[in-house]
Amino acid sequence: MNPVLDIRDLRVSLRRGAHLVRDVSLSVDAGEVHGLVGESGAGKTMIARAVLGILPDAIRVTGGTVRFRGEDLLRLPPKRLRSLLGREIALIPQDPLTGLNPARRISAQMTDMLRHHLGQSRGEARVNALRLLQEVQIRDPEQVLDRYPHELSGGMRQRVLIAIAFSAEPSLIVADEPTTALDVTVQKQILRLIRQMQERHGTAVLFVTHDLGIVAKVCHRVTVLHTGQVVEQGGIADIMSAHATPFTRALMDATPRYDQPADALHPVPEHVHQELRAAARRFDEANP
Amino acid sequence: MSPPLLQVRDLTLSLPDRSRGGMFSKPPMVDILRGISLDLRAGHSLGIVGESGSGKTSLGRAIVRLYQPTSGQILFDGADITTLDEAAMRAHRRNMQMIFQDPQSSLNPRRRIGEIVAQPVLTLGLEQDRRAALKRADLALDRAGLGHAFARRYPHELSGGQRQRVGIARAIATEPRLIVADEIVSGLDVSTQAQILALLNDLKRDMGLSLVFISHDLSVVRVLADRVMVMLGGRVVEEGNTADVFQGPRNAYTRQLIDAVPLPVIDPDWLDSQPGTEGTRMVDIKGQTVLVTGTSRGIGKVFVDALLATGAAKVYAASRKGDGAHDDGRVVPVKLDVTSAADIAAAAGTCADTTVLINNAGINFNTKLLDTDQTDAAAAEMTTNYFGTLNMCRAFAPVIEGNGGGAIVNMASILARVNLPLMGSLCASKAAVYSMTQGIRAELATRGVAVFAVLPGAVDTDMTKDFPPPKAAPADIVAEVLAGMKAGEADIYPGDMAKGVSGGLAADRPAVIAEMAGYV
Repeated sequence: MNPVLDIRDLRVSLRRGAHLVRDVSLSVDAGEVHGLVGESGAGKTMIARAVLGILPDAIRVTGGTVRFRGEDLLRLPPKRLRSLLGREIALIPQDPLTGLNPARRISAQMTDMLRHHLGQSRGEARVNALRLLQEVQIRDPEQVLDRYPHELSGGMRQRVLIAIAFSAEPSLIVADEPTTALDVTVQKQILRLIRQMQERHGTAVLFVTHDLGIVAKVCHRVTVLHTGQVVEQGGIADIMSAHATPFTRALMDATPRYDQPADALHPVPEHVHQELRAAARRFDEANP
Repeated sequence: MSPPLLQVRDLTLSLPDRSRGGMFSKPPMVDILRGISLDLRAGHSLGIVGESGSGKTSLGRAIVRLYQPTSGQILFDGADITTLDEAAMRAHRRNMQMIFQDPQSSLNPRRRIGEIVAQPVLTLGLEQDRRAALKRADLALDRAGLGHAFARRYPHELSGGQRQRVGIARAIATEPRLIVADEIVSGLDVSTQAQILALLNDLKRDMGLSLVFISHDLSVVRVLADRVMVMLGGRVVEEGNTADVFQGPRNAYTRQLIDAVPLPVIDPDWLDSQPGTEGTRMVDIKGQTVLVTGTSRGIGKVFVDALLATGAAKVYAASRKGDGAHDDGRVVPVKLDVTSAADIAAAAGTCADTTVLINNAGINFNTKLLDTDQTDAAAAEMTTNYFGTLNMCRAFAPVIEGNGGGAIVNMASILARVNLPLMGSLCASKAAVYSMTQGIRAELATRGVAVFAVLPGAVDTDMTKDFPPPKAAPADIVAEVLAGMKAGEADIYPGDMAKGVSGGLAADRPAVIAEMAGYV
């Protein structure tokens, strides 16, 4: 089976030269949740943005391919790319407030999507919007449709965004730290919802997170990043095992746990960071 | 033993709710903190955990008096600081420093790090001379693991972890005895976070610092806090030794909070698991249709007003006479004798939209168990207290279930757990209610009806006027019941007496029984 998303040797660089993503390869199959894990500056958000074609102006892709069902997104005509985004590839953003237009009611934002991408009539779109809100377990969908984003709680807004993301039955969803802004009990509901929707629709998900706990609970496979390089890649059981690479294990040891005393916590040893930074420098020297 | 460094007694805080109120009308006051008490010993650390809106940040700010509490006391080293005026408070501030969540926004971008750290030393008058203050700043930067070379840099040249170390340096520059740290590792990567946590543990040990550590992250709190307090809706729902609370939480909300933390362990069942499903879950009165029995007097009467104030959509005020008329239009009086099968059946029909049932009706004849001429009284107590409650549960469980779920609240008594002379048969009937409530909770576990048992101590009503103190005010009992429902506590022990007896029974049963017998 061909993967839904196949990233090969992706290189992302600042316009003035420095590399941010250093020849990263990874693939996501249909029905798979693939975790993209790392600390800030590891390159996880850059990879997600490269897939969605929304890199900032000062940053560009300088090598590699991003194939979505065989088509290289990096070389598609802009019109074709626009028709894929939203319909075939959707985003669940980190901050539910910025993902929604504050000046428009939820109904308008949901039906736009359905009418624009799927060519539904106004009436059809409203019926489908209601059905989608029910599917993300919103109790009073009629009322929610008539609200503005600021009138909803963070958890509700994230449910609406999940509904919008799944509305066109996309093959791929990029979830960019989708629960970072939420309370922990709401986070669990949202994670459950993403997995339920993903399983029901057979969607491939690229799940960006810094949280190894979330990775352990929702991902099938994982790519661990550091300084824009792949440190480790594999099934969740391998990543969570004692055979993981030193950086992954160090990250685990530096993650506090409510079920373990303080002395179980060890900051990531400086030499682990240094070795990976040195590898990044070697890459840069070989690829100026 | 020396008194705790910090004592908070029954602290309440109300602030104007700016999201409500018109352009010209004063915004209504909203309760942020309700009756918070805590002790913190010198050199120890207390974690405060909760979700957004729990009041944890407000509590931190009230402790360092950035907010003036509405009532209650804050004692520092035994002295009440809530009444200090500005000048006296200024002299005191060096003892308590606060570190904030976002170092970026709390550091002046145009000043050098050294000046930023020296600032409180100068403002609080610990040094008059700028040079001496900067020297203290250098020392604090060294202690914070940055090194005094950083004194000449500007905030924008620093990483997030380094900025948080500046925040720590600024806080310790005045050599305080207490630091209140609010979400100070939230935005940091785990490798940086672990270093900052280690630094705080070192400072705590080396400087003998006491720490109030506020965080939404239970795992981070476990690293730093000897004791932990769990907050929900401005109240403390659970408090104790951190390891104990996290390993064996007693409160349903605490359990839910702990369960929701994703540990880095593979567990395919975790996503679908629902904590606290032993029949109890959190129930908010807002928008509910509530039926309360025994509303002609005592607690029942108080319940009606409290339910209205908490936002109940409708209240069926049931009493034997049906005389519960009220000037609030949401109150519907209902004539209901819980010993009458016909009355109960009729009520289940007329009050068919009930979502919460509060079984409060009860009687008490003060009889001894072995008095043979009092057997009628004992039977009457069982008929009303036990069978009345049971029959109401039987009639209304399907009603509530049919309305999409809700709650049943059975008012038992702390006497359900300890039998007192002179009221032996009453105690037995209350024990029966408590036992029955546990059974019903199990039967309704999967049917969407939460079942609560309430075990109050002596309540100050006209029915208990012959009973000696300590007695709790009915309004306080009722407030605690509603808070307990909101927190999802299966067994609610409102009032100090009930909590004391319940705790005491576990520790030293004979002593408690002897003391209780002394009341009668």
